Amino acid sequence: MRAAGLALVLAAAQTVAHAAGASAPTLPEPAASVAQAAASAPASTAVSGTGQRIYADMRPRLLQVRTLLKTQDSQSSVGSAFLVTPEGHLITNYHVVSSYALAPQRHRLVYATVDGKQGALELLAFDVLHDLALLRPVDPAPLRGRGAVPFRPSEGPGSEPERGARIFSLGNPLDVGFAVTEGAYNGLAERHYLPTLFFGGSLSAGMSGGPALDAQGRLVGVNVAARRDGEQVSFLVPAALAQALLVRGRDARPITQPVHAEIERQLLAHQAALVDTFIAQPWRPAGHPRYRIPVPMETFARCWGSGAPAATRGLVFERSDCTMDSAVYIDERLRTGSIGVRHETYDGSRLGWLRFQQRYNASFHNESVGGRDGHRVAAQCTERTVETGGGLPLRAVVCLQAYKKLPQLFDLTVLTASLDSTEAGVQGRLDAQGLSFDNAQRLTRHYLEGYGWTAPKTAVR
Amino acid sequence: MDRPEDRRALIELLDRDGRARRTLDVLAWPVTLGRALDNTWVLDDPHVAPHHATLGTAADGRVLLQVGGSRNGVQLGRQLLQAGAQVVLPADGAVLGIGGLRLRLRLPTSPLAPETLLARPLVAGRTLWAMLAAWGLIQALHRWVQLDPGADWVQWLPWLLGLPGGLAVWCGLWALGSKLFRHGFEFGSHAAIALAWLLAYEAVDLLLPNAGAALGWPWLWQAYHQWGLPLLAMLLVRAHLRQLLPQRGGAINISLALVLVAGIAVNLAVNLRQLGRVFGDPYMSTLPPPALRWGGTQPVQAMDAALLPLRGALQQQAREASEDDGDNDGNPP
Repeated sequence: MRAAGLALVLAAAQTVAHAAGASAPTLPEPAASVAQAAASAPASTAVSGTGQRIYADMRPRLLQVRTLLKTQDSQSSVGSAFLVTPEGHLITNYHVVSSYALAPQRHRLVYATVDGKQGALELLAFDVLHDLALLRPVDPAPLRGRGAVPFRPSEGPGSEPERGARIFSLGNPLDVGFAVTEGAYNGLAERHYLPTLFFGGSLSAGMSGGPALDAQGRLVGVNVAARRDGEQVSFLVPAALAQALLVRGRDARPITQPVHAEIERQLLAHQAALVDTFIAQPWRPAGHPRYRIPVPMETFARCWGSGAPAATRGLVFERSDCTMDSAVYIDERLRTGSIGVRHETYDGSRLGWLRFQQRYNASFHNESVGGRDGHRVAAQCTERTVETGGGLPLRAVVCLQAYKKLPQLFDLTVLTASLDSTEAGVQGRLDAQGLSFDNAQRLTRHYLEGYGWTAPKTAVR
Repeated sequence: MDRPEDRRALIELLDRDGRARRTLDVLAWPVTLGRALDNTWVLDDPHVAPHHATLGTAADGRVLLQVGGSRNGVQLGRQLLQAGAQVVLPADGAVLGIGGLRLRLRLPTSPLAPETLLARPLVAGRTLWAMLAAWGLIQALHRWVQLDPGADWVQWLPWLLGLPGGLAVWCGLWALGSKLFRHGFEFGSHAAIALAWLLAYEAVDLLLPNAGAALGWPWLWQAYHQWGLPLLAMLLVRAHLRQLLPQRGGAINISLALVLVAGIAVNLAVNLRQLGRVFGDPYMSTLPPPALRWGGTQPVQAMDAALLPLRGALQQQAREASEDDGDNDGNPP
């Protein structure tokens, strides 16, 4: 399995407590990879003169946002933020304030400026899909007169920086102190369903929600995440989305109740568009001589393949595993809104039917379906033998999982196994999180119909 | 005994297994019991008084028990008789606890229990060897299926040594139990029991999951995995226990049934609570080979309808779970 080491650049309590080198709960990588990333950073963070100017200009508009437990002063998470209006509206990541958004009764939000001013914040609006939040100080006076970070024009010629242009990311990494990091603008990250900018610089935990600016000091994007399995592979939310959130939420009433209903609304819209786009794409041929197998286009999924060693005397298999890079962060333990498809083809001709059946069954038995956790109840499954694609008999197990607080959304798992042969077969699995029930049905049907026989032998290459 | 017709009664001194260790033919009443040498029957036990008890006849001819100068008294059933007490014993005999000893009084009027059959091995000799061979072959077949063709012979070793070893240890432990309770090692009997049930398990384990898969009956497969296996294990243990304690058949049945029912109930409660369903396994994971696919197929669209009942059930569970979580997100409950 290839796990994408995408980590949100959010400093949570533990990171701060263990200071440098420790990995936050949102950073699943071993400390070593974090250390490596840190070691390589100085080379590129020798900040240029432009960087000095930008830091000097932006200093007053840069803030740290802390989520504190209401009953005590210890911080449950720390991120960065920046002013976007002269009245003191500020933008950060949703994931910086998610504990507050999900349980405002138990948390409070405070800011700290570079020059040491502090004050309470209120949450006006958020965009859970693109991981943005709009906040406002309860008392705007201390933040007045500091100006605002200007947005880059989002349309017209020159709206996008040149590839390779230097951009500057600001924030408070690991709660160590405000800092500026220089890196290259690399345009949109490829195969991301949700638009994400690829920033060729280092982002560390705690810089989440900080601004990334071009040489003129205009907002290009908002720091959001970094890959811990690479170096200087970081991600920004495009500035236009932050601007849209500002327009939408600038006069909103502050949020004081848990936001599950709004999250559900945004996720429903997301899944509707995602499933429509997904189903509109044709399946890609898997190249199997016997079976037609559904493999998604790689427009916003990445597929990894592997197989049994050629010299094996046992079961010959090939595996393909396609996952989306975009997932929607809800809280530390829950990401949703993503689709993954994988399959394994088996050739048991070296084994004989008895041995093949044993391994084929064992492989089908091996799949796990979602259990009960903090957010979801345990999966319920239904199973049938269906006939698809010109008569291919397929065992299909369809499991759904419901969210405790998002009653319109379900996680879907479809397991399939072909039943046509004693010595060959294909088993597949589709996982999709955060679907409406109707879309779960549609996607199930779409996936099952992706199976079948390949064209008759004569027509095959 | 030259003249059995002179025997008025028989007093048996019982050992810890309830068998008669010594007996006394009573030719005339009274019979005195105690540690002193002038007793009819001298009982050498430190908890017995010099003149502990006397058995005589009452006016109506029944046997009368008189407790002598004893501090421990005489235990009669659940009743403890103190020094000086007099009790007429029932006509069908009695068991007396005198000091640390148990004496059984048998009278001509005592009813006789029917002859108990000897506990014989279920099978023995050739049949036992045939069962062993059958079981060994089945295990070898299992291993053969698990191993890839041309596998190193070393991979057979754990199997070849482990399985017979495991069976021998299992039967040996039960045989030790037999030795303890029945004074016979009875390895062969336990081996016959174990092999019979293991063969039964192999048959059922082949038949039921594949029948579930072939007919498209997930419930059969699920029920077998959830309840069938514990039931088979229970039946095996029951057979061993009954060999061990043949007189306690009823108690064994009741206790094992209670254990089984309690286990199933706990498992059911946990599944319903944690998983919201009866069965622990989420789906049937045995796939039928093409020749056994008797369940028929449905069009893909049938999945839509099959999913419908899940919707309400899941939303209901989610609502309940959310209420169980109570106030943890600040919502008023």
